[in-house]
Amino acid sequence: MRDQQSKFMRASHVLMLFFLVAALILSAIGAGLGDAFYIRLGTEALIFAGIGLSVDLLLGFTGVLSLGQALYFGIGAYASALVLLRVPSFWLALVVAGSASFVASIFGGLIANRVRGVYFTLISLGLAQVAAKIVYNTRELGASDGIIGVPVVQVDLGLLSVSSDDPLGFFLLVLAIVVALYTILSYVLETPFGRILIALKANERRVPFLGYSVWGARMAAYVLAGVVAGLLGALDPMLRGFVSPELMSFMTSGNAVVSVLLGGVGTLVGAIYGSVFLVLLKSVIGSWSEHHQIVVGSMFMMVVLVLPRGVIGVIHPWLRTLLSRLPPSLDRPGSPVREVES
Amino acid sequence: MTGPILQIEKLGISFGGFKAVDDVSFEVERNCITTVIGPNGAGKSTLFNLISGALRPGSGRVLLDGIDVTGLSPRRMRASGLARSFQITNLFAELSVRENLRIAAQMLESKTNALLPVRWSRLAIGRADAMLDRFGLTSKANDLVGSLSHGEQRRLEIAICLVAGPKLLLLDEPTQGMSHGDTEETKEIIRSLAKEATVLLIEHDVALIMDISHHVIVLQQGRKLAAGEPAAIRANPAVQSAYFGRA
Repeated sequence: MRDQQSKFMRASHVLMLFFLVAALILSAIGAGLGDAFYIRLGTEALIFAGIGLSVDLLLGFTGVLSLGQALYFGIGAYASALVLLRVPSFWLALVVAGSASFVASIFGGLIANRVRGVYFTLISLGLAQVAAKIVYNTRELGASDGIIGVPVVQVDLGLLSVSSDDPLGFFLLVLAIVVALYTILSYVLETPFGRILIALKANERRVPFLGYSVWGARMAAYVLAGVVAGLLGALDPMLRGFVSPELMSFMTSGNAVVSVLLGGVGTLVGAIYGSVFLVLLKSVIGSWSEHHQIVVGSMFMMVVLVLPRGVIGVIHPWLRTLLSRLPPSLDRPGSPVREVES
Repeated sequence: MTGPILQIEKLGISFGGFKAVDDVSFEVERNCITTVIGPNGAGKSTLFNLISGALRPGSGRVLLDGIDVTGLSPRRMRASGLARSFQITNLFAELSVRENLRIAAQMLESKTNALLPVRWSRLAIGRADAMLDRFGLTSKANDLVGSLSHGEQRRLEIAICLVAGPKLLLLDEPTQGMSHGDTEETKEIIRSLAKEATVLLIEHDVALIMDISHHVIVLQQGRKLAAGEPAAIRANPAVQSAYFGRA
């Protein structure tokens, strides 16, 4: 029996499927036309969507705003770059980046989860700024220049092998990883643990009186979000061949929050759409004017004022209504037919 | 188990010199309904906060089933078998009625189920549906809690405490703001609770208190003024002047 929350997420799944199909078609057209620029731009958007997923897990489902998720993205990117300079193994880079962001987010979580609300937000921001400054001043990590010359890596997928400088192949690989992370996060939200997170967002004060640990759940969500950001961060040096301290900066964290709000907070899929909108917008407007931040900033304000639930937030309720009108045979029998349209 | 389920010994807390609860002692007998009454500001809700772990007592002890649980966190108190409701409705407004109950019931599931889909948690869903039926909320199961009427939300507030089978229920003004019909219905629900658990109640409705309580504790300005059976409390001259005397 599907409950209301599952039905809510079903609309996200349909939008994710649509995204996947559109991405496949567009990348096939792009490859057919011999384009590399837009495919690589799309890859970049998908990589940044990872920080968006991380932000949305915290903001949209757990109810805490982190302005420092780029910290874990950056740690994943640096860990990956350091591995690739020594050992050209995609999987090792991914594992090391995941582990590094896991350990880092435990430390970060122990500090940030001591407080809540706006204080949590400020600490998450502070942690990322401190880490970015440390990296900026560490010669072994390339200091302000970052690490350049990360070699092209062959990704061994068993039956076939993809090179990170093959635009289409790497795009498809990143797409598969983003879809996999989306699937994992949606699954987690369907478990009792995930529902505690949703309960925290709905009414944190009631949760301990039901016998559940607020701290434990928030900590687990924070670490999960950190690892998601770290895994996508690992892909960034493979795409661009270098890492720099800006990856951990407020700009990166802030952009992720903007893309989540743009796409639609609390839908997961909105983070992915939002990231694509934002990267495309910046690139297109950036090709007309140097001052693209002014335009992007103004457009962001317009979206927040006109569509407070984001672009996906507009489509989502409509899609939920549509899905609820599907023949009941598609649902397991036994569930009450009554529906809520919010 | 024998003996009182809850023992309160010289419990007290003060806020900046103001003694909100002062040297209060009493016992709650198993499968009984014990009601705490008193004028506004007498310290009833503060007493509940001290017992349920929302506030840490400044002095005194709380014993649940003979075990000292003084100052435990609300989560540990719930794990020890004490559930409480709130005077001001405190639910998950954006979630459905069934999901509110299911979340409260999932503590009964084994820890290994924490990462399996919720639709597989038969036990929690079964308990939630049993509560929906018992509290007359089945037709509202999929409605968002925020869309329920006040009376329905108050009933759900009790159901959420009961769903995971606590030993002791602390109900803080369950009939607050209810219509007469809803109050009557809730009264019968509370009466039925005493068969499976013990109820400690805060109430203002004198008729309801006299009807369903086995014991009554009267608080006034943070101190225990009197305690006893409803009839004795009603006849107590000190209580009459402090509380009933107004009427």
